[in-house]
Order: sequence, then C-alpha cells, then structure tokens
Amino acid sequence: MKRTMIVVSTLLLGAGAVMAQQEIAVQQDNLMRSIAKNQYGIIQKMTKGEIPYDQKAVDQAIASIEADVAKIAKTFEVNPKQDVVNATYGASPKVWKSKADFDSKIPPVQKAITDVKGKITDVASLKAAYTAINDRCTDCHETYRVKLK
Amino acid sequence: MLRRTLLAAVLVAVAAFGVYWWLTAPAALAVPLPSRAPDLANGQEIFNVGGCSSCHAVPNQPDRLRLGGGLPLGSPFGTFYAPNISPDPTDGIGRWRETDFVSAVMRGVSPEGTHYFPAFPYASYHVVELDDVRDLFAYLKTLPAVPGRVRDHDLPFPFNIRRNVGIWKLLFMDSQPFVPDAARSPQWNRGAYLVNGFGHCAECHSPRNLLGGIITAQRFAGGPNPAGEGWVPNITQKGIGEWSEKEIADFLETGEMPEGDSASGAMRPVIKNLAQLTPEDRAAMAAYLKSLPPVDGPTPPKRKQGGA
Repeated sequence: MKRTMIVVSTLLLGAGAVMAQQEIAVQQDNLMRSIAKNQYGIIQKMTKGEIPYDQKAVDQAIASIEADVAKIAKTFEVNPKQDVVNATYGASPKVWKSKADFDSKIPPVQKAITDVKGKITDVASLKAAYTAINDRCTDCHETYRVKLK
Repeated sequence: MLRRTLLAAVLVAVAAFGVYWWLTAPAALAVPLPSRAPDLANGQEIFNVGGCSSCHAVPNQPDRLRLGGGLPLGSPFGTFYAPNISPDPTDGIGRWRETDFVSAVMRGVSPEGTHYFPAFPYASYHVVELDDVRDLFAYLKTLPAVPGRVRDHDLPFPFNIRRNVGIWKLLFMDSQPFVPDAARSPQWNRGAYLVNGFGHCAECHSPRNLLGGIITAQRFAGGPNPAGEGWVPNITQKGIGEWSEKEIADFLETGEMPEGDSASGAMRPVIKNLAQLTPEDRAAMAAYLKSLPPVDGPTPPKRKQGGA
C-alpha cells in the first residue's frame, strides 16, 4: 500500500513538473504573442493601410508593448526545456546559456519605445516608429528565436 | 606466395591511391581574363545578393563591411570558421590575383590549389557569370583591410582532409553555367540566376543527404537547419503558396511576413543584405520563387527534446 502511494505520488509529481514546464513555455509564448498582436495586428496593419489610423488605438498598442517588454527578462527567467506543443517558433536554449546577453537586448527595445512614445501623430510617424521598434526586436530574434517547423 | 600476395596488395593500394589522387585533383578555373573596367555598382549588388557579409564580417561589431572573418559556422561535420576576405595583404585576399578569386568563387579552389570546404557555397556560385565575379572582386578591394588571420576549421577526421572534398564535388557539384529559359521572361531568368547563383538560397532551404549534398528532388523544400537548431522553411509554393509575388518581394526587403510576423534566426542577416538590392532584383527573385512548384520537404521533428 505504502509502495503504491509512493509510486502514485511520484508519478503525479512528475506529471505536475512536466505540466509546470509546459506552462512556463506557454507563458513565454503568450507574452511574445501579446507583443506581436499589438506590433503586427494593429501597428503594422495601420502602416499598410489595412486598417484606418486610430490615434487612441496606437497609443494603447504602444503602451501595451512597453508593458509587455518590461516583463520579458522575468518571464524568460526559467528554462522550460521544452517548446509549446505544436508551436511553429520557440526560444533557443541559448537564451539560458547566455541569459545576460539575452537580457542586454531588452533595454534597446525599451529605448526605441520611449523615443517614439507620444510622438506618433500620423501614418508616416507610425511607420518610422514601427521600424525603429521592430529592428530592435529582431536584433534579439536573430539569435534567440528558433523556427521549429 | 605470401610475398606475392603482399606485392599485389601494395600494387592495388598504390593504384587505388592513384585513382583517388586523380579523381580528387582540384581543378582551378583557367580562363582568359581580358582587361576591363570593373563595374563597382554591380560588384556591390553582387556582394549583397551573395550575402558575403553575413559570414565574413567580423562578428559582434556593427560594420558589415569589415570582412575580417571569424564567424563560427556549425555543421554535422564540424565547425567552420569564415576566413578573412578583406583586402589585407597578409591575412586577407589583398595579394590575390583576379584568377585566384575566380577559381575560389566558381570552383572552390584556393590560390594554393587546394579544395575549399563546401561550407563556402561555391556549389551554387559555379553558375554565375564571370563578369559578376570580377566586379565583386573589384568591389571587395574597395573595402577596409582588416588584419588578423582566422583560426583553422575545427573538423574531425576524415572530414578535415581537404582532398576528400574532390569526391564531394564529383558527387554533388555541377559545373554547367546558368542557362536561361527562353520560354520565361527576362525578369524570371534574372531571378533564377540570382536565387540559384549568388543568392545560394537552396544551400539552407534544402534538405541534405548524409554526405552533406543537397537532395535535388527536394530543392527549396526546407529541412533541418544545417548550422544547428531549428527548422529552415519550405520556400516552394508548398510552403509559401499563400504569399503573393509582391509579398515575397516585400519580405526580402523588410523581413515582414504577410501573416504578421518578422523573419528571425539566420534569415535576419540575409534580409539586411537583400534590403540593399535594387527593387528590380528583389522583384525578379520573387517572380522566380513564386514559380517554384510545390514540393513536400522532410517532416520536422514532433517536439524539441529538453533544451539544456
């Protein structure tokens, strides 16, 4: 009986740990998706004229991106050692091999956001802001984002 | 009897070695190079199509024109270190003759007459036009000389034997020049030339066999990243069939995908190069890529195992 309990609880713990790790990977993925939703789903679409320019939406998108970027270092603190199930992209293990370098890519993104915040007034200035921010995002994605399939 | 057997064995070995030596002889490209005024603007365009900077620029510094080399390039056969191709006379290619450069780019043969490893994509470059190579050489000469010799490649036996590359070339390298398809537009042909030649897109976007040769039937159909982690996407119409020609051209300029995302990984530096091209050349590449028939690539692994 005791033995069964130990076996069962070990299995449960193990399953729990796996779930937790998947949960971490999902949180990391969700944070990136949340940024992408604003960056591509709103800002980029407006720069391309696919949706009309909307000052309030722009200000909100920039504020959300700023808030999300501030969470990156913390959200990526733990290596989940697995990818989100069926994900197309994932985080490279290099993130945790050189976490300091990974973290050092964040302040330039924040600076790009602060530089443009409150100065976007039309499609032209939005486009400039989009490129400035996106280039800093991709500086990091070049090394730390991996296409999985 | 024993002596005779031994003698026969030695003779066979000598003969086999002779055949090996003959098969693997590096063949430089000896063509007459009549003097001509180089077109530096074309040389720069070729430099950017070829993405020379992505491998040969000194890593971890911002200037993509400092071609001092040193970038490690992982592969299943060991780690290659991109050499210095700046005009430095001792550590770079400052003392090279034009014929040396042509042989290096189009045949993968060094000025000393040895094979280069195919990490240097001469298996693609062999189709290019001589004048483009000459313009590229002239352009490289205008860039800053960067001192510093790059370390040797780190390859285990038997991959470290350059002579073996001769066999690889026999198996996997074609030496036919680019033949335009008369049934297609000049734009398409320009695109085919750029994508298959200097662009060397297929080098990453195709699966490879055990010996590192491109699997021809699945050319451009993507596969595992030869340099390590992750997956290189299928760029036949199977993979990007939903992208319009214009969207492909835009992607080559900005790295932005129609589905609302940006290129990442090793494609990022490629975009930095392609962004410098004339819009006409990007449009030509897009026209050609859009014409690639859909081909199924290998299946990506279900899920990455532990990431430590």
